[in-house]
Amino acid sequence: APPVVGQSPITMRMQTSWPASNIWQQMAQQYADRVEAMSGGRIQVDLLPAGAVVGAFQVIDAVSDGGLDASHSVSAYWYGKNRAASLFGTGPVFGQDARNLQSWFYAGDGKQLFDELVRDEMGLNVDGYFGMPMPAQPFGWFTSPFESMSDIEGSRYRTVGLATNLLQNMGLSVAQLPGGEIVPAMERGVLDAFEFNNPSSDRDFGAQDVASNYYLGSFHQANEMFEYLFNQDFMDSLDDDLRAILIHSVEAASTANYALALDQYSADLQWLQNEGGVTVHRTPQSVMDQQLVAWEDLISELEEEDIMRRILDSQRSWVERTAYYELMNAPDYQAAYNHFFPETLKL
Amino acid sequence: MIGFIRLADSLSSWFGKAFAWLIILMSVGVGLQVLLRYVFNSPTSWSLDVSYIMYGSIFMVAGAYTLSRNGHVRGDFLYRLWPIRVQATVDLILYLVFFFPAVLALIFAGWKYAARAWRYTETSVFSPAGVPVFQFKSVIVLAGILLFIQGLAQVLRCIICLRDGYWLQPEEDVLETEDQLLAEAAESRIKDRDQEQT
Amino acid sequence: MTDPVLAVTMLGIFILIVFLGFPIAFTLMAMGLGFGYYAYFDADLMWRTLGRLDETAGSLETFSAWLGGFFNNRIFDLFVNQSYTVMSNQILTAVPLFLFMGYMVERANIVDRLFNTLNIAAKRIPGSMGVAALLTCALFATASGIVGAVVTLMGLLALPAMLKARYDTSFASGIICAGGTLGILIPPSIMLIVYGAAASVSVVQLYAAAMFPGLLLAGLYIVYVMGRSILQPSIAPRPAEGEIPDISTPRLVWMLITSFLPLAFLILAVLGSILGGLATPTEAASMGALGGIVLAFVYRAMTWQRLREAVYLTARTTAMVCWLFIGSYIFSSVFSYLGGEKVISEFVQSMNLTPLTFLILAQLIIFLLGWPLEWSEIIIIFVPIFLPLLEIFEVDPIFFGVLVALNLQTSFLTPPMAMSAYYLKGIAPPDVRLVQIFKGCMPFLAMVFITMALVYIFPDLVFYLPEVFYGR
Ligand code: NA
Ligand code: NA
Repeated sequence: APPVVGQSPITMRMQTSWPASNIWQQMAQQYADRVEAMSGGRIQVDLLPAGAVVGAFQVIDAVSDGGLDASHSVSAYWYGKNRAASLFGTGPVFGQDARNLQSWFYAGDGKQLFDELVRDEMGLNVDGYFGMPMPAQPFGWFTSPFESMSDIEGSRYRTVGLATNLLQNMGLSVAQLPGGEIVPAMERGVLDAFEFNNPSSDRDFGAQDVASNYYLGSFHQANEMFEYLFNQDFMDSLDDDLRAILIHSVEAASTANYALALDQYSADLQWLQNEGGVTVHRTPQSVMDQQLVAWEDLISELEEEDIMRRILDSQRSWVERTAYYELMNAPDYQAAYNHFFPETLKL
Repeated sequence: MIGFIRLADSLSSWFGKAFAWLIILMSVGVGLQVLLRYVFNSPTSWSLDVSYIMYGSIFMVAGAYTLSRNGHVRGDFLYRLWPIRVQATVDLILYLVFFFPAVLALIFAGWKYAARAWRYTETSVFSPAGVPVFQFKSVIVLAGILLFIQGLAQVLRCIICLRDGYWLQPEEDVLETEDQLLAEAAESRIKDRDQEQT
Repeated sequence: MTDPVLAVTMLGIFILIVFLGFPIAFTLMAMGLGFGYYAYFDADLMWRTLGRLDETAGSLETFSAWLGGFFNNRIFDLFVNQSYTVMSNQILTAVPLFLFMGYMVERANIVDRLFNTLNIAAKRIPGSMGVAALLTCALFATASGIVGAVVTLMGLLALPAMLKARYDTSFASGIICAGGTLGILIPPSIMLIVYGAAASVSVVQLYAAAMFPGLLLAGLYIVYVMGRSILQPSIAPRPAEGEIPDISTPRLVWMLITSFLPLAFLILAVLGSILGGLATPTEAASMGALGGIVLAFVYRAMTWQRLREAVYLTARTTAMVCWLFIGSYIFSSVFSYLGGEKVISEFVQSMNLTPLTFLILAQLIIFLLGWPLEWSEIIIIFVPIFLPLLEIFEVDPIFFGVLVALNLQTSFLTPPMAMSAYYLKGIAPPDVRLVQIFKGCMPFLAMVFITMALVYIFPDLVFYLPEVFYGR
């Protein structure tokens, strides 16, 4: 319908799972800005941080009930309800990165399988989309350096989603906490080590105050994305153009988010190294190899459930074809970097 | 009326006391975690989950038990000074206007919340141990129902007080050390006075 | 009415209702739901089901859709969601465990032993009995996080002894009221856990931060008692010859060892493991709870009856504290949704306060709230209102927490709700009047203010230990 003069704007109440100061709140704000600009102000986004209405892990309930119109979170946060949640961003790595997985969501069977999971299997009243293919997540923060898995066996380590099962199987004692509680938990002695997501968020949490060894590179969460959930009734109540704006702003914000991430994450990594007193390491190859083996074991366990098997089958056949093309085609970027910035990388 | 009050009191205390014993399990369970970590270097993954489930169950279910013993905090510095029938009138009104709507909301919204958790057989999101929490979410409904029944008993207490001019006390129960000592002191004073009079 | 006006109204009505004496947890829940119903009111949502019915719908179906419409308000889901957040709060898990530990220890006949031994050991210093009473209280405070029991136990034990030794009644009562209240300040303190949960700050750091100020306050109490006794010997006469048994030094040492050591071991294990980062407060509390049981066995005070008492009281007191949280979570969520927090912070900002005047004003308000109210209500309901202001004035929430904890010592000693004074009045000989008790408490209030001033002037009293342990 054409906009009616004097029509009052629709307010969309959207809560994130992030503290107000986190860079991810800025990314959610980029989404909100796009929605407001493209709708000419017909939609106003009331963007709230974690805890404003419900806790970080409870946004999916609140959106389904209508307590929130929308949420900005990650699907790993509700994997206590259904472990298949984790396959949308923190699942096994068959050779795909997050951009590849996001492509599976939009061009492969991803959206259809997600709808089947949340609507048919779980009976939730939500419509979901994925944005911002994240860079692989670092293995994380440790109080002292290590060479192999046996050095850190038994440590209490924080991660989320299927990565909890993965690392538990690799001999860590895993706890899953919301981002804002990690550093207090390190202080309280509940944790020995943790990963959150990226140099900027980690710096913002004060990771450098509780641990000084930062390990980059890991297969535990190498293709995560933001999960946007909308209350289905709220979506249905909108005019077609506004609904399209909400959906396609996810795609638009994806580009803006990635640009912000690349700029900010890299700058904060430098800050951590130069001013934060942090030693940056590359995660030992042996640990990453063990991660792949651990994924293999976990996959066979997960596949006992029908919906998980179907999601994994779909991802595997998608990756087999698309990543073959990507990898066969990719030039050696590392060689180019080394050529122009010799002796910089510490791999 | 008195029969119902006694029934509600004992129902609330039975549930409250039964769940109270979880404190022993909780001490031992969390204590075991410390032992496993330092002695055997193999901490459990479920300790965090189990400790909040026990803590939450204890206090939620004990809500009605505490109400039956008048143990919830109240700003009663003025209230104490009022004539007993004024106390009962104010309490009666506030039970009807404040207490029951809140407790009913807890029961019905809690029901919806718990039912959904049962549908997914939801597990705790804090560890990979897969500790179930759907039963724990049902505790909200249980606590609401117990509070509702105990609330009815409290309303009847107000009515008795308005009619007969006295507060029907709950039956004897464990007392805080200070209350126990206060009661003993008061009793011995009465005895002293009686002796003086005879 | 605009939303912020509504928020202020909400707070105003709440304070009025508090004075009516209804259990506060339920008042908070009801007010949160009532105002929240308005705040989240959405006519579309309310009549959605009714609107979807077509002509074929029966009257029952229409009625139930109509009735259901009234409950189609987001506040209800929010309420349950917030309640679950309290139920799964990982800081508050330490509350029942520390309570249980305290209840076990207070049933282990430790107080009598400690007091008797210390009384003999201290007999040569001025105001010896008062000093022994305060030392007993301070030691006991490091094993227990609650108040009532110490005041009554000491009131039964030390007060008659002091009166018999011709101590001034006010002076003796003040010592016991003030000393007995230390338990809620010196770690492990339930009050600090509750503050930690209300303000989302680390309980471990709070414990480390409160250690020196708590001991400083206890020290000032002792200095005051000794000073008064020197200046005015008539209010605390030296024990007459033979009044206190003469005991050989080795035997005295043995008495000290047997009455101290088990308790000291428990305290060290609990506080040491928390401060040293070996265990979380919850884990340390569980060790303390098990230790409390062992201690009761050691002192041959363990009976089935006492264990049951401790278990049931733990459940009741935990329920009292945590239901307040259930109420305050939904209340403050709606309050801030309506913009109440913003109104308050804008109002305070418009007053152009300096950080110091802000601190003084905030502490003055908390002090005044402490006359009619108890600590739990003040921390769970009113402290969250101050918290957003701390950031504006750049006050560290841990520093603020320690000041609040010190300040709330006074809430036990100031009428009309002076719990320590009432406990003492209840068990004291009938000729001890309430006015005398209050009079005796006044100098100790002054010591609290002096300690607060010292903490402000020397913030290292607060920050030294957290810095050593956690490098903050
Ligand atoms: Na204490
Ligand atoms: Na008071």
